[in-house]
Amino acid sequence: MVHGRDPLRTSLTRRHALRLAGVTAGAASLAGTTGARAASFARAQGAPGGELVVGATQDGYRNEPNRANIGMYPLNPNVFESLVRLTPDYQIEPLLAESWEFVEPNTWRFTLRQGVTFHDGTPFTAEAVRWSMGRIAASGGGVLGVDENSTVVIDDFTVEITPTRPNRRLPQQLNHPNNSIVAPNTEPAETRVGTGPFREVEYAREDQYVVEAFDGYWGDAPGLSRITFRFIPDATSRVLALQSGEVDLIYEVPRESAQDLPSSGDFTLATSTVGAYEALYVNIHGAEPYDLGQDPAIREALAYAIDKETIVSGVWQGNAEISDTMIPPAILGPAADTITGTTFDPERARGLLDAAEWVAGDDGTRAKDGRRLALAMIVGFPNAEIHRPMPEFVQAQLADVGIEMEIVQTPDTASYEERLGTGEGDLWAEAGSQNDGNPCFLPDLLFSTPVPDGDPESTAYGRAFAPGADFDAHIEECRSAVPPEEVQAAAASAMKVLIDEQFVVIPLAGTFRLFGVAAKVTGFEAHPSGVNQRWAGVTVAG
Amino acid sequence: MIPYLLRRLIYLGPVWLGISFIAFALSSLSPGDPARLTLQRQLDRQPTAEEVTRAREDLGLDAPFVVRYVRWVGDAVTGDLGTSYRTGEPVLGALLERFPNTLRITLLGLGGAVAVALPLGVMAAVWRNSPLDHLSRIVSLLGASMPSYWVAYLLILLFAVRLHLLPVAGRGTWQHMVLPATTLGLATGASLMRLTRSEMLEVLGQDFVRTGRAKGLGPRAVIVGHALRNALIPVVTVAGLRFAGLLGGAVIVETIFAWPGIGKFVLDSIFDRDYPVIQGFVVFMGTVFLIVNLAVDLSYGLLDPRIRLGQR
Repeated sequence: MVHGRDPLRTSLTRRHALRLAGVTAGAASLAGTTGARAASFARAQGAPGGELVVGATQDGYRNEPNRANIGMYPLNPNVFESLVRLTPDYQIEPLLAESWEFVEPNTWRFTLRQGVTFHDGTPFTAEAVRWSMGRIAASGGGVLGVDENSTVVIDDFTVEITPTRPNRRLPQQLNHPNNSIVAPNTEPAETRVGTGPFREVEYAREDQYVVEAFDGYWGDAPGLSRITFRFIPDATSRVLALQSGEVDLIYEVPRESAQDLPSSGDFTLATSTVGAYEALYVNIHGAEPYDLGQDPAIREALAYAIDKETIVSGVWQGNAEISDTMIPPAILGPAADTITGTTFDPERARGLLDAAEWVAGDDGTRAKDGRRLALAMIVGFPNAEIHRPMPEFVQAQLADVGIEMEIVQTPDTASYEERLGTGEGDLWAEAGSQNDGNPCFLPDLLFSTPVPDGDPESTAYGRAFAPGADFDAHIEECRSAVPPEEVQAAAASAMKVLIDEQFVVIPLAGTFRLFGVAAKVTGFEAHPSGVNQRWAGVTVAG
Repeated sequence: MIPYLLRRLIYLGPVWLGISFIAFALSSLSPGDPARLTLQRQLDRQPTAEEVTRAREDLGLDAPFVVRYVRWVGDAVTGDLGTSYRTGEPVLGALLERFPNTLRITLLGLGGAVAVALPLGVMAAVWRNSPLDHLSRIVSLLGASMPSYWVAYLLILLFAVRLHLLPVAGRGTWQHMVLPATTLGLATGASLMRLTRSEMLEVLGQDFVRTGRAKGLGPRAVIVGHALRNALIPVVTVAGLRFAGLLGGAVIVETIFAWPGIGKFVLDSIFDRDYPVIQGFVVFMGTVFLIVNLAVDLSYGLLDPRIRLGQR
C-alpha cells in the first residue's frame, strides 16, 4: 500500500460517471447489510467454466521470507483471504472472521468461520491466524503493530489479537491483502496456500500468474475455471493487448485511451466508485521564500481561485468527480457531508487578497511590501507524469487572480520526498488512494503534528502541513474510538480542519479505477481499491 | 597477439576500477534514503526512526563513503555484488538471471540488423545514385530517426492488433522475441547501412581496388574479398559499440513488450534507490562493454592482415 498513496491513471466518460452514480447507489444499499454479504459475494453466474486473461500492471510482488506477498499485493488474484473484507463503499465486512469484538484495554477477539479449508486440504482454524500474524510480526509488525505474542488461540475458532500499542483500527486494517491468512507452516515465498476462491497454478516472475477455481471453496463457486494474469507494465501495451484480443480485461486504462476504447463496441470501460484523489497541500510552516502559505488569506484565496470543474473535465476528461474530502467520501459515511469544501469563486479570491493588501502590479501579479505573490508547485508524487496537465491548468487559474506560480517537477518520488524534507515548495501536488477501511489513516499519516522519534516521512509531511492542536485532537479521537460512526465523525472533523478551516488541503478531484473489458466478459465490478479487486463473480461468454 | 591481449587485459583493471568508483559515487550521491525506501517497501508502511537507524546499520550505510566503497569493491572482485534492498536477491544472481533475456533479443536484433544492413549498404555503394541507393538512404534515415518507443507501438499495431501475426507482449515462444528484436535492431541496422555505404564508397575509390580490377579480378572478388573487408573495420567498431549499448539500453523496449530483461529490473531499482543493484548493473555492464571492446579490437587483426596485433 505504501501508505495508501499509490498512483492512479484512470478516466471515464460522462456517461460512465452517470453509471457510476448507479453503482454508488448500489454500493450504498449494500452497506446496509452485514455478515450475510460475505457468503453471497462470490455469485457464480453459471457452472465454473471459461478462462479469463487479464493484463495486469507490473509484477510488484516481493519474495523474501516472512515478507513475501506473492499472490496478495499489489495484484490480488483472490488466492488468499483476510479475516475481513473491504466493500466497494469502504466498509468492513466479515470474511474468514464471522464476527469480532473489542475487549478493553487493547484486544480484538475474532470468531472464525467454520467449514473453511485451505487449498491443500488443511482445515482453517485459529492456528492459521496465529501463524499468519506471526509472519507479520516477524517482518516488523506491520501497520497492525503485532509481535510474536500478540495473537492468542482461545479455541479452534476463537482468536485474540492484542497489538503492542493501542490500535482500535485493527479490523479496518486487516482487510489489506498483505494481512492475508496463509496455511500454517507455509511460506508464500515458496508456496502459496490460501482459502480463496482461486488456487495458484503457476507464478512466473515478471511474466504471469495463473490461478484456477478452487473446488473446495467455502463460498459460492467462482464463475471462471481459470484466470491468467499477465504482467504488462506499459499502459499503452495493455490497451493494445486488449484490442488485439490477447487479453480480455486490463487494469489502469490510461485516461487518454479511455475515450476511444468503447467506440468499437468490442470493449467497455468498467469504472469504480471514487477510491483515489488528486489534491494540493499548502506548506504552512515554510521558511522564506516558501513561507507565503503561512498567510491564511493566501490559502483561502487559493482554494477559491481553482476551478475544480475545469480540472475534472479538462485534465481528467470527465473521468473523475469534484472532491471536497481528499479521501474517498464513502469511507466517511454520512459524516462526509459535514465537509463543505470550496466552490470556484475568483471574485472572492481576489477580494481576499485585496483585503490582505496584496496589490496587483503592472504584469498582473500581486505584491505586498515589495514581495511578489509567487508560489512554487512541486509535482512528483507518485510521479510528475500522472498529474499532467493539472499544474498548467492551476497555473493559469491562479494567474487570473494575480498569483504567479512556478511548476517544479521532480524526477521521482525520492527526489520529491527529499525536497519535502527541506520544505522547498509552496504547493505540493499529490495523487493517492485508499486501500483499507481506516478513515483516519491518511490524514493521520500526512498531517499530524510531528512527534519526537516519529515516522520520518510522516514527520516530513507534518513539518510542512500539520495544522496543529485542533486537528491532532480529532485524530486522537479517531484513533481511540470504537464505534464506526464515531470514527467516521472524528475523521471528517479532522478533514474539515484541513479543508474548510485551515485550507491546508485543496482537494481537486476524486478519481476512479478504470478497467478495459472485452464484451465477452460479464459480472466484473471494479473495486475502488484496486488491491481488493474480486474475481469470483466474473464469467466469460463463449 | 598474446602479449597484446595480456596488455589489454592489464589495462582493463584501472578502467574497471574507475567504472566501479563512478558507479558507487553517483548512486551514493542520489537523493533519497535507501534504508527508509527499502523498509517502506518491505513493511508496506512508514518505518519508525529506530527501524531506519537499524536498517542503516544492517545495510552498512552508516560507514564513511570510502570505507563503504572499499568494502564493496573488495566483494565485487570476488563476484559478490551485494544483495538487492528491494527484492532480497543476490545482485549478481538477479542480473545473470535476467541478462540472457536481454542478450537474446539484443543478439537477434543486432544479427538481423547486420544481415540486412551489410548487403544493402554494399549494394547502395556499388550502385551509387541508383533507385536502390536512394531507397536505402531514405529507409536508413527513417530508421535512425524514429524513436524506439514509437517504432515499437507501430509494430504492435500492425503485426499484433491488425494482422494478429505476433503477440503484443510477454515471453514464451519465439514469436514473442520478434517485435522487441526488430525494434532494437531497426535503428542499429539503419546506422550500419549508412556507415557500410559510406565506407564502401571510400574504399571502392582507392588504388588497390582499381589494381584488383585491372588485374582481372571479378566484381565479386573485388567487392567482397577486398573492398568490403577493408570497409568492415569501422562497421565492426560501431556494431560492437551498438551491441553493448543495446544491452544496457533496452529498457524502453523491455517495458513496452513486457520482456523481463535486465533493463526493466534496473529501472525499477533506480526508482527504489536500490544501490546494490544500480552499482552492480553499472559494473556488470561496464565489464560487458570492456569485453565487447576487446573483442572488437581483436577482430581487427582477423579483418585486416596489415594489422599484426602485439607485433607493432
